[in-house]
Amino acid sequence: MTTDILVLGGGIAGIQSTLDLAEMGFKVHLVERLSSIGGKMAQLDKTFPTNDCAI
Amino acid sequence: MLDVGRHPNISLLAYSELTALEGEAGDFTATVVKKARYVDADKCTGCGACTEVCPTPVLDLYNEGHAERKAIYSWFAQGIPSTHVIDPDHCRVLTGKKCGVCAKKCQAGAIDFDQTDEIVEIPVGAVVVATGYDVFDPARIPEYRYTTLDNVVTAMEFERFLSASGPTEGHVYRPSDRKLKQEKIALEKSQTKLAKTLARFEKKHGMDSPAFLEALEAGSLEVTEDLAKDKDKWAEKATVFLAGDDRLAALAQEVALVKTATKIAFIQCVGSRDLRFYPFCSGYCCMHAIKEAIIAHEHDNDTQSVIFGMDIRAVGKGFEEYKIRGGNSSQIAYRRSRVAEIVPGENQAPVLIYEDTTTRKIVRESFDLVVLSTACAPVKDAAGVADTLGIALDKFGFFKTEAATPMDTSREGIFVCGCAHSPMDIPESVAQASSAAARAVQTVMKSKKAS
Repeated sequence: MTTDILVLGGGIAGIQSTLDLAEMGFKVHLVERLSSIGGKMAQLDKTFPTNDCAI
Repeated sequence: MLDVGRHPNISLLAYSELTALEGEAGDFTATVVKKARYVDADKCTGCGACTEVCPTPVLDLYNEGHAERKAIYSWFAQGIPSTHVIDPDHCRVLTGKKCGVCAKKCQAGAIDFDQTDEIVEIPVGAVVVATGYDVFDPARIPEYRYTTLDNVVTAMEFERFLSASGPTEGHVYRPSDRKLKQEKIALEKSQTKLAKTLARFEKKHGMDSPAFLEALEAGSLEVTEDLAKDKDKWAEKATVFLAGDDRLAALAQEVALVKTATKIAFIQCVGSRDLRFYPFCSGYCCMHAIKEAIIAHEHDNDTQSVIFGMDIRAVGKGFEEYKIRGGNSSQIAYRRSRVAEIVPGENQAPVLIYEDTTTRKIVRESFDLVVLSTACAPVKDAAGVADTLGIALDKFGFFKTEAATPMDTSREGIFVCGCAHSPMDIPESVAQASSAAARAVQTVMKSKKAS
């Protein structure tokens, strides 16, 4: 029995879940297939509708 | 992203894959393979000195294949973790050749060619699946000629062109024009090398190459014993060199005329709302196209974009206003149409054939560059992931959920969010991610109380 949580995928959704859980005090294991996290969002230059930088 | 790397409650397993999930909600055991990076994560500082000296160029998929990286690399400059990784399929040492310059250069002594995959077993109470999506492969729509026309690209490729850190440093040069520039650079390099070889022959035999070729052809060449040995090679190199010079002159003229693309077409619903592929709307592509057109106009005020779509779906907070602003101040025209075909035109310009539904006329229109708003497709190995996790897929290949429990997969204790669930934009992904996190907490706390 454990309260650790596994998050599979380090894109924007996985990162948000991971940070939420970690902030709540749970130990999170974030597994990402590529060598760094960020996913598709890290490839975006800017985001709509505010034209903010994605990274 | 930075917070993930340094939060005390987060264990980051990048460059890793889940291979099995045994047990039940509250008491799972996850088996994760940490793939060998061939770089010691404790020693690597992420300085990048290794990539500078690595001699092996590899296609850079972060830049959608429009740039090159090295065999030792980080996925992108600001990546977390910053630990570099060696690509075992391309590294000279790992493919059995001689090299190892990265190991010599690395001051931290982080390179470790003997590293092997590591398998770890992690007890967890719940799982959040956020495996995302893949961009629809437009090669499946042959009439758009994505694979044969250089200047037809996907929205994700165009995103990289617009990025200051991308392959064109934010200037929208057409791929065909970039190819010309690359050909020119490569040819200049090989011509310089050839010129050196020719100079050696010329000095040795006391005549210049054109004169030598002329004499050889006319049969008036006085073939000494020395020259007999060099004659064939010299003739071959000289011929290649002269042809190269002509090509170089032509290339220089073409390259001098190259301008950035300023007339851009966006084609919506490429693969989505299409009964041959995905019948659903991908949700974000209309806004994505508008955003790209606005940014392109910001980079170059002469840019005019036409967005071809059945309708523009600007559903979201501030989205409709954004669409109107794009039309009013960024020279974006919205044309109600479904483009039938893209055909090659003059000077590598793609020509669109479509019916303008407001005038009911068939139109042929030429553009500098065409951007395909590709559908949000399930990840290619969705079936494999579903199998590993023991959860069901829906008929399209996204993870199956029910309307009343949108975050719950078919296996208790496993939750899904973001584009692994269904196509959605960033704010929605973030909202779902928080929901899935909350559901995961409910599962682990329920199990903890029960025990």
